Amino acid sequence: MSEKKAVGTRQYIATRVAQTIVVWFGIITLNFFIFRIMPGDPRGTLIAEHMPPEVIQAIAIRFGLDQPIATQFVLYIVNLFRGDLGESFSHYGQPVIETIFAFRFWNTVILMGTSILIALIVAIIMGVIAASRRDRAIDVGSTTVFLVAYSMPVFWLGLMILYYFGFILRVIPLAGTITRGIVHVNIFHYVADYLWHMTGPLVVLTLSFIGGFYLIMRDSVLDIFTQDYILAARAKGLKERAILFGHAMRNAMLPMVSVIAVNMPFLISGATITETVFSWSGLGLLTYNSVVANDWPVLQGIFLFLATVAVLSNFVADILYLYLDPRIRY
Amino acid sequence: MSVLRIEDLCTHYFLGEDRVQAVDKITFDIAESEIFGLAGESGCGKTTAAYSIMRILPENGAIVNGQIFLDGDDVVEKTDEEMRQLRWRKVSIVFQYAMNAFNPVLRIGNQIVEVMQEKQSIDKEEATKRVKELFDEVGLEPERIRDYPHEFSGGMRQRAIIAQALAAEPRLIIADEPVTALDVIVQNKILGLLRSLQKKYKLAVLLITHDLSVVAENSDRVGIMYAGKLVEVGSTVNVFKRSLHPYTYKLIGAFPSVKGPKRRLEFIPGTPPDLVRPPSGCRFHPRCPWAQEICNLEVPEYREYEKKHWVACHFAGEINFEVES
Ligand SMILES: Nc1ncnc2c1ncn2[C@@H]1O[C@H](COP(=O)(O)OP(=O)(O)OP(=O)(O)O)[C@@H](O)[C@H]1O
Ligand SMILES: [Mg+2]
Repeated sequence: MSEKKAVGTRQYIATRVAQTIVVWFGIITLNFFIFRIMPGDPRGTLIAEHMPPEVIQAIAIRFGLDQPIATQFVLYIVNLFRGDLGESFSHYGQPVIETIFAFRFWNTVILMGTSILIALIVAIIMGVIAASRRDRAIDVGSTTVFLVAYSMPVFWLGLMILYYFGFILRVIPLAGTITRGIVHVNIFHYVADYLWHMTGPLVVLTLSFIGGFYLIMRDSVLDIFTQDYILAARAKGLKERAILFGHAMRNAMLPMVSVIAVNMPFLISGATITETVFSWSGLGLLTYNSVVANDWPVLQGIFLFLATVAVLSNFVADILYLYLDPRIRY
Repeated sequence: MSVLRIEDLCTHYFLGEDRVQAVDKITFDIAESEIFGLAGESGCGKTTAAYSIMRILPENGAIVNGQIFLDGDDVVEKTDEEMRQLRWRKVSIVFQYAMNAFNPVLRIGNQIVEVMQEKQSIDKEEATKRVKELFDEVGLEPERIRDYPHEFSGGMRQRAIIAQALAAEPRLIIADEPVTALDVIVQNKILGLLRSLQKKYKLAVLLITHDLSVVAENSDRVGIMYAGKLVEVGSTVNVFKRSLHPYTYKLIGAFPSVKGPKRRLEFIPGTPPDLVRPPSGCRFHPRCPWAQEICNLEVPEYREYEKKHWVACHFAGEINFEVES
């Protein structure tokens, strides 16, 4: 029996992998055409006036910019797999891949990863506790606090924190990911400096994520409480902690998985404002600067990256479901 | 001493200004090794009585009066924590919608191990061994303790639930409609299993059902409920063959009997009363063919009409059920 199940699961995963690849191809195709049907000279998407003539020449040849659109498309795909997305307009002569991935990607991953993780843990625990104390002080209190945090504009919250804690109190730095001009004595010194710079954007992002996660979790737990197996767990005289965290929490987390997966790209692009306010050199700030500077190659790269994240996170969510919910077996 | 003794229990639900008198002054007891069948129409308060014993009523429900003694200990007086510790150790329950009583994302075996470890000082390995033995005892393959609930059929799940109910060696098992969702063949198997385990472990069982044939075939004594009231209690033979309450008589008549003597199938006119504003006097009087004026005015006393045969009817023993007035 379990043999058959394993085969079904493997087949399901294989199908999902294939689907994911097809969707991803659809997206890169779309990416190609969107940027080329925009008004103006199609060469403008990859070539800037201020580039040296030999660079312009090289790019035009690599991407076949004088050739028919079909050839251009083939070259675009080939170059994509080589990791060649052209050169950034605003970072002189730097390949787009480097602009995105050299350090900005990691800065964003670390900032986003940490804030999503903290927001998730707090939201899940508080959601469970609030639901179990429905309408009592702790429920009303935490719901109010998180709703307020949720509805505060991120740029305003960021500016407030920057103003009070950075400018007035001077407990957090005003900008950047590390202190400029100092020599870090060792790796720990570097990490400490980095984390210190991360405090401001981390607090802002965590606060902005927590509200949504918390409300979904609380709602989901309340729904689980009406299930027969929770009444059964009570009848069995299990400890409240065992019922809440052993029986209700895991089931209530299922909807969270898909919500987070669907929202992943928004979460990342949502960091744009926070990164800009704190001058945190990540993908968000890069997006902002690239829009301002009309840096088309970089914007294409970011677009591709976000689309890939969206497709991948949905795939990961489906696989996670397989393991979280034993009823799902294909 | 009785394993369970309920005295004058009143359990009400509060709906805004209204009060649903779901259980109103009921009294009965269950001895060791005894199966007590509690029967009555849907909505008469059977599940409410069961939940009162375990004190797992919904938030708007409360025991407003009376005592419930488990092994001589009044559970109504217990604190929440004392009550929590008592559950499953003294009394376990098989739910009406037992199909969903297991958490769908956890392995069945682990769920039973969990309650065992909570209720007894036993390590995980030993508990797992015990669960395998219990599985064997209820007719399930011991290897299947690693299965998830959805991998079991309805009948298998019911067996697992019975195994779970035995896990902490309780004195009393409440079985609330334990077989209603199953087909007849499986029903009989499960009831047979329940009976044999009950004998083996000298369990007291409160068997709740609206199916009179299940009660008749499986219980030593029977209680008949109507609209939150217990109207008749006695040995199964007495209640079925020498019914004292008109409702009991009508209810038995409303059930087709396969084995018993042929009798015209009866039908009780009218509908069960609204428990927010129950009828005055005897709650059954609006539907009773033999009702007199007093039935409307006075609540009949619940009394021992003959030895161990209790009834709440003004005219117990005086009515000739063959003749409707
Ligand atoms: N939470 C509640 N709030 C208000 N009224 C309730 C609540 N639960 C049950 N009731 C009412 O209390 C009465 C008794 O319900 P109960 O579930 O005990 O009946 P039952 O005899 O078990 O019925 P069934 O055979 O359908 O299971 C019913 O009239 C029902 O509508
Ligand atoms: Mg019921």
